[in-house]
Amino acid sequence: MTYAAYAVTPDRQRAELATLSAPAVLFTLAMIAFPVVYTVWLGFHTFSSTGRQSFSGVGNYSRLVADHEFWHGLWVTLALYVLSLALQLVLGIWLALLLFHAKRLPGIVRSLFISPFMMPPVVAGLMWLVILDPSIGAANYLLTRVGLPPSDWLASPLWVIPTIAMIDTWQWAPYVALIVLGGLQSLPPSVYEAAQIDGASPLTTFRRITLPLLLPTIVTATILRSVDLLRFFDIIYITTQGGPGNASNTLNIYGFRVGFEFFNIGYASALMLTLTAIVFGVVLAFNRLRGAVAW
Amino acid sequence: MNSTLLSETLIRRLNTAQLVLAGILIMSPTAWMVLSSFKPSFEVTAYPPTLVFSPTLENYVELMQTTPFFSYAVNSLVVTLGSAGLGLLFGIPAAFAVSWTRISWPAVLALAARMAPGTLFLLPWYVMFRQVGMIGSYTALILSHAVITLPIVIWVLLPSFDNIPRSIFEAAQVDGCSITRVLWKIALPLVGSGIAVAAILSFVFSWNYFLFALVLSNGDSKTLIAAAFNFVGEGSTQWGALMAAATLIALPPLVLAAIVQRWLVSGLTLGAVKG
Repeated sequence: MTYAAYAVTPDRQRAELATLSAPAVLFTLAMIAFPVVYTVWLGFHTFSSTGRQSFSGVGNYSRLVADHEFWHGLWVTLALYVLSLALQLVLGIWLALLLFHAKRLPGIVRSLFISPFMMPPVVAGLMWLVILDPSIGAANYLLTRVGLPPSDWLASPLWVIPTIAMIDTWQWAPYVALIVLGGLQSLPPSVYEAAQIDGASPLTTFRRITLPLLLPTIVTATILRSVDLLRFFDIIYITTQGGPGNASNTLNIYGFRVGFEFFNIGYASALMLTLTAIVFGVVLAFNRLRGAVAW
Repeated sequence: MNSTLLSETLIRRLNTAQLVLAGILIMSPTAWMVLSSFKPSFEVTAYPPTLVFSPTLENYVELMQTTPFFSYAVNSLVVTLGSAGLGLLFGIPAAFAVSWTRISWPAVLALAARMAPGTLFLLPWYVMFRQVGMIGSYTALILSHAVITLPIVIWVLLPSFDNIPRSIFEAAQVDGCSITRVLWKIALPLVGSGIAVAAILSFVFSWNYFLFALVLSNGDSKTLIAAAFNFVGEGSTQWGALMAAATLIALPPLVLAAIVQRWLVSGLTLGAVKG
């Protein structure tokens, strides 16, 4: 069919498509693209306490390299990231296998599974704050009842990162589970039947067949969680605000406090651009991996 | 034969037992929050914690009396509905245009915006909004939250539009329909469930979002989420009232999510997983 058959010309089409996307494009330029460029500009400036700005070149970045708190924040960010991700993947895959073999998944069970990650992180933080309170919390009561020593949880410099990782895992392991479940349901049943005929044990079937076939889905879940975990903010800000001391001061928390508590917008911009580069780097690396494990 | 049947039953029972255990682990923190909100205030902080108590609404009454909870709720509703509406208004035609042209960079850009830490945007916004005196305004909050909702709308709707057979659009075009008419009259009615999921996810994530309101709102325009943070900071924390507030704030997203639970996960993965 030639274009002559259409009542609408290609030029008119192009104009219409441009009009349809114009509001979103303009919004993105004004609220995302321009502000990010502005952040880059801010990152090359310092701000005095009176709010006066002066050009400082890469001054903020050389400060960052020498800043002990930055390296500490990077370490906390990565420790929290690796620990939470590992917990969420292991528990998520376990939950997914359970759900997969349950055959029937009533709506109420699914609602229960989505309730942790649909709840505001701030609410999750508040409720765990009460449960984990060192003196009145239910968690310590349960620990002492089974004969274990009570923990200071969020108030302990040693345990605060594992505790926050646990809270986030409670929220997001079910999400990983539902993604992996989707992957399991899309696997062809014939591969299991073949394995069964060959007499493979359930464990061998899982290790040699299910897991490799699931890898692309698992990498997808990893990417989605990486994005959230590397910029972890809400639960930390609600429960510890980076403390005790600076034990849970992730890069995002540190950058936020530099910007909005000490009003050093220039240095905060440099910190946030660095964090953004880290997030994008991790995502791109996993995206390549996903290409490599696809089947 | 009999022994394999027996072991199959055993495996199934073990599976069910593990699922029940997982369900308890997932549910009990939330249940504890809801229970605590109905406890008499002296029992909320009782140690050892009590499971049996005479339920009361005193925490809710105290919450309403000591905080402007209702006006915070109105703020949250205005910001959430405003930003979800804006996201749909801009996102529906954009997703349709992206699907039509198969040009992917606008969608990738939206995804990149979803991946960047919120503070990256908040720093320049703060400077910009302060310069024009918009800190604390609904407009600033709605615009900032639309940065959350717009990528959600685009990425939830993109697969829905892609799934519509092209021949339907071409037939309409031969009849002289403009693309805009094709969108409103033909495509939109076909992606109704996609729009419902996009709307609800936008609502939930905008409602739940903390960081932007923390900086861009003021005493009058504080959203519930930002206000909840201040409930903790006020020295003598009333745990019972705090749990009442947490329960009420969590209610709208949980109810909405339960409505669309079946389609929710594929929407949440931003098109990364199909099925």
